[in-house]
Amino acid sequence: MSGPWSEVMTGEQWDDLRVHLFPGDRDEHGAVLRCGIARSPRGNRLLVRDVVLAENGVDYVAGDRGYRKLTASFVADNIDVCADEDLAYLAVHNHGGHANVGFSTTDMASHERGYPALLDINDGVPVGALVFTTGAVAGDIWLGGGERAEITHLRVAGRPQMTLTPNPLTAAIADPGYDRQTRIFGDRGQAVLAGSKVAVVGLGGAGSLISEYLARLGVGELILIDPDRIDPTNLPRVVGARRSDAMTWLRDPRRPALLRAIGDRIAAFKVRIAARVAREASPTVRITAVPRSVLDSDVAAMLTDCDHIFLAADSALVRRLVNSITHQYLVPHTQVGSKVSVKNGEVTDIFSVSRMSSPGSGCLQCNGLIPAWKLTEEATSPEQRRRQRYVEDDAVHAPSVITLNAVAASRAVDDWLMAVGGLVEDDVTRDRWAMYCPLVDELVEVEPTQKPGCLQCGPSRFARGDGATLPVLLQPAGATVR
Amino acid sequence: MSVPSEAILNAIDELRETFPEAGISYVSDGQGGVWVTIDQVPMGPAFVTPTSWMAFQITHPYPEADVYPHFVRPDLQRVDGNAHREGFALTSYGPQNTQAMQLSRRSNYLDPSVDTAASKALKVLRWLEER
Repeated sequence: MSGPWSEVMTGEQWDDLRVHLFPGDRDEHGAVLRCGIARSPRGNRLLVRDVVLAENGVDYVAGDRGYRKLTASFVADNIDVCADEDLAYLAVHNHGGHANVGFSTTDMASHERGYPALLDINDGVPVGALVFTTGAVAGDIWLGGGERAEITHLRVAGRPQMTLTPNPLTAAIADPGYDRQTRIFGDRGQAVLAGSKVAVVGLGGAGSLISEYLARLGVGELILIDPDRIDPTNLPRVVGARRSDAMTWLRDPRRPALLRAIGDRIAAFKVRIAARVAREASPTVRITAVPRSVLDSDVAAMLTDCDHIFLAADSALVRRLVNSITHQYLVPHTQVGSKVSVKNGEVTDIFSVSRMSSPGSGCLQCNGLIPAWKLTEEATSPEQRRRQRYVEDDAVHAPSVITLNAVAASRAVDDWLMAVGGLVEDDVTRDRWAMYCPLVDELVEVEPTQKPGCLQCGPSRFARGDGATLPVLLQPAGATVR
Repeated sequence: MSVPSEAILNAIDELRETFPEAGISYVSDGQGGVWVTIDQVPMGPAFVTPTSWMAFQITHPYPEADVYPHFVRPDLQRVDGNAHREGFALTSYGPQNTQAMQLSRRSNYLDPSVDTAASKALKVLRWLEER
């Protein structure tokens, strides 16, 4: 288990824990966190699944060697749950002070007395402790085999995003080229952007704009995923796309079918165009361009350690996957799109939408945005769909225009920027779902609901990390890889 | 050949409990789902043929995905001699491209925690009985 360790929790969990640890009495309080685990080349994350508050005087009592301790029965109840569910166990308490924190020698001695046995009960799944002040956190994680690790930071994921560390971090002076925007969110905000790994799924009209915005903002790493090649009808909307990318001269309807087919096969992948634009926008951005379906398991895995996912693909299966990753790996996402409805040749409705969702709250499934019938159709073979007459004519494209995409993309990136840049108030809503309806001059804000037992945000998946299976395709979709 | 998910295998078990007198068989759809056949179900009083087999695909996103359409024998005819109304279409389905009458009953408000392949099959049979 090499690599750094960190902790992730939702805003709601942080609110509960903070109020419990710091009620204003300047006393010490305790709790236990039960956590799923996510491992990736970027590091190991403990994902808080349950915050179990220890009741003062009942579960958290006067200590024999230290000031306070968790009772044996409270510890036993929680380690049993962890052992049953393959979760990491973390005991939590608080110290006084604000910006710096560390364990006392008494704390460390108690870890050394108790954690070998807890690690054994937990069958080798990590156990450990966190200690908080109002503005800092430190961790001592026991990994088995005599290994221990500190935690680098705790991330409160979503809106607003917050990061706690054991000691204040000094932000490097930002590149002067970012002077105008660092006047808004400072060198620290620019450092947050430079340290962020952000995915864009779908690099069409909305996704291409999002990718460019992120690169120009100075985001450090971009994961761009889309299996499609550019089509001539995409050129008015995909930023940076050239006529040569779309092979327009070969794909002209007046050309012989063979030439058009060649044009279809050698047109540029949308991710390659987006990567080119991003590199022109930012000399330092690291880009992984993946011209494959995100439903392939190895591609989906790339999303699980991102800091944010922008979802700009119109597929129910992809929505289901990204929504699941948000709640299983505590990675926030923003779903972006626009739609123009036409009936009998008349435009009946137009909207563009941006839905920023935090883990544990905004769920596309709970709010009816992953239609069951659409999942069925997308999981049915093209041949069977033709038999069932559910296939739409490929030659008929959905109406779309760059300005609608730009409204949604701009809003999506702006909401994310305000959340990670520390600019939004602490009490803003966890999710920001906004729909712009230009035909009726309306901006509609929706507060998402949650359904207990949801298969995507509920207990079967929430904060399970690597302990649950993602809803990917069992077999690769077979798209070309370059 | 892909292996069906635990949810799909549970759905097949539930179908066997729901239709204890019928034979339930299934084959992989090659994408993580299955094609299921119930060998005999009642067609209802509106139809000349009192029984039929019923087939349907349980796709890999089940139970979040709807189970539809359903397929029954292709020679389904009404007792009153009239043409079938909305929701019926002659087509074919599955790995053998079997001729069938397609019954299109989409669930617009599916709740994966309560709506199952078995409950959907019963709903379709009730709908047939009311034709």
